[in-house]
Amino acid sequence: MNNLGELKDLIIKYVEQLDEDKVVSLATEALDAGLEPLELLGVVNEGMSRVGKLYENKNYYIADLIVAGLIFRQVLSLDKMRAHFYQDHKRPLGKVVLGTVQGDIHDIGKDIFKGMLEANGFEVTDLGVDIPKEVFVENVQRVKPHIVGLSGPLTNTIETMKEIVEAFVKAELRDQVKIIIGANHMTTDICRYIGADSFANDATIGTKVCLEWMESINKQGEINDEKSGIH
Amino acid sequence: MADMKALQQERIQLFKDLYDNKLPKRVPINLVLSVEFAIQYAGMDLAQAQWDTSMLEIAFDKMCGDFITDTNPAMAFRYPSYYKILGARNFVMSSSGFLQHPEVHGFETEDYDYFIQSPYDCIMERVLPRIYTELDTNPVQRSIVFAKAFKAFFDDVVNGNIIIAKLTEKYGFSPIGGFDGFCEAPFDFMSDQLRGFKNIVGDIRRIPDKVVGACEAALPLMIKTGMPPHPPSPYGATFIPLHMAPFLREKDFEKYYWPTFKKLVDDLAASGQSAYLFVEHDWTRFLDYLYELPENTRMMFEYGDPKLIKDKLGKKHILTGFYPITLLKTATKQQCIDKAKELIDILAPGGKYMFTFDKNIITADSVNIENLQAVLEYVSENANY
Repeated sequence: MNNLGELKDLIIKYVEQLDEDKVVSLATEALDAGLEPLELLGVVNEGMSRVGKLYENKNYYIADLIVAGLIFRQVLSLDKMRAHFYQDHKRPLGKVVLGTVQGDIHDIGKDIFKGMLEANGFEVTDLGVDIPKEVFVENVQRVKPHIVGLSGPLTNTIETMKEIVEAFVKAELRDQVKIIIGANHMTTDICRYIGADSFANDATIGTKVCLEWMESINKQGEINDEKSGIH
Repeated sequence: MADMKALQQERIQLFKDLYDNKLPKRVPINLVLSVEFAIQYAGMDLAQAQWDTSMLEIAFDKMCGDFITDTNPAMAFRYPSYYKILGARNFVMSSSGFLQHPEVHGFETEDYDYFIQSPYDCIMERVLPRIYTELDTNPVQRSIVFAKAFKAFFDDVVNGNIIIAKLTEKYGFSPIGGFDGFCEAPFDFMSDQLRGFKNIVGDIRRIPDKVVGACEAALPLMIKTGMPPHPPSPYGATFIPLHMAPFLREKDFEKYYWPTFKKLVDDLAASGQSAYLFVEHDWTRFLDYLYELPENTRMMFEYGDPKLIKDKLGKKHILTGFYPITLLKTATKQQCIDKAKELIDILAPGGKYMFTFDKNIITADSVNIENLQAVLEYVSENANY
């Protein structure tokens, strides 16, 4: 049997290489050898962040990120990991309400973004696809998220997204949330036209933006779940 | 009428010159507007007019009259009738009446071996009943559903094509310059229609050899699908929208995507049929591969540096696309015209270029109509050789 230090290094290496079988068997071995679930999560996250770097350097692409996500979920579904994390009611890093806007039923990009946000400690309320503005407004009132994510790969959703932002203004919610829009065709001009705070052409950029937002929110003090305090 | 015939001949000549490696009189315009655009632009109800295709003639007629282009802009490709009869999970309408392709799969991991051995049988017996829920029944009922769906398919498609052909004559459009066939790269077919985006990328790590085998098994089906129902002509083309490559690293592209895609385009070309590729997303990493395809492959680019792509591919292949339709939504009329000028200055020299946008315009409210018309007018009057 490997010692724990070696096991941890190997897990990081095989996450980086996207070797699902090896990661799962080594993770099981490490848990059996007494590695704490939280520590294992940290180890897998280190591997994930190396995958992220390979992606940024254009050695890896979206397909690789999806596989990394599959491996991450496999590890989380190991018995000891489930037993630990299902009991743990840690406060999330931040809350996000996410959905594909009305008129559009695409979900791949939204799901990748959701997976990345969750891996980074966000609590995500996924409204699904083809979501009308009223449902976005209702859920923001109910969940009180820090961030709202609007997805819509079809180019005709630009107008729909604009209407959703306007609905937030009307419901006096606009200054309580940050809004990020995601699709391949998004540009600064479109973001401005829609009235969102930021945009992302891919899920990793979107996740980065959300993390930066949470960092600046946290700098303002403890997050108040009743009112986000984002301005 | 005689004027329209003369105009049509002039337009046909533009495309013949383009494909025959000659400089045409001016840059041809190959505008494509969707059936949804046409319906919305005519002020009709999207859901209703897709069902009652007799309404399309008025919608297409208005569109053909209002936008300058050398080919018929009307594209009627999919209708809801047969998808509804089939109980389709792969093409469904959103609440706004827009027919879309969600991420579904009807092909399980354990189907690979049978697919590799007998792809057509595997699709018929296993995949179709999972994707089309109304086929998931006894053989008699299945045959009835299939027959009804094909009747609806031919009714709507033939009706649409008759309308389009009539308008091509009425407005003097060139019948060549677009495409007359459709298929997918084998790896895209596996990803889009059978396994789904998320599953296929797991498969290439878990069962790589089976994915390669499946692409090879899908290749003959794609070649057959891509051949037009009439003898091929150098002026026709098979539309192949390219999907997965930009999401793959080069090593995976080389192994899973490229070999059967290249063979598909080569085999179509060997039979006399060119390919019209929608080079979706950003293919900058793969330009050297694209260069290897048969001469005069039509390539509609979505993203990438037009100058670099013109330098690398422009002497061998026919380029189009690049113009970002989002600009038509957000920019001023002058900015839109300036963009057209910029692209024409880069792409037109030496020929082998036709004008169109970076993606098809799917609805009337996704662009500013006046900007669209201004750009088309500018190109038609100023892109002369």
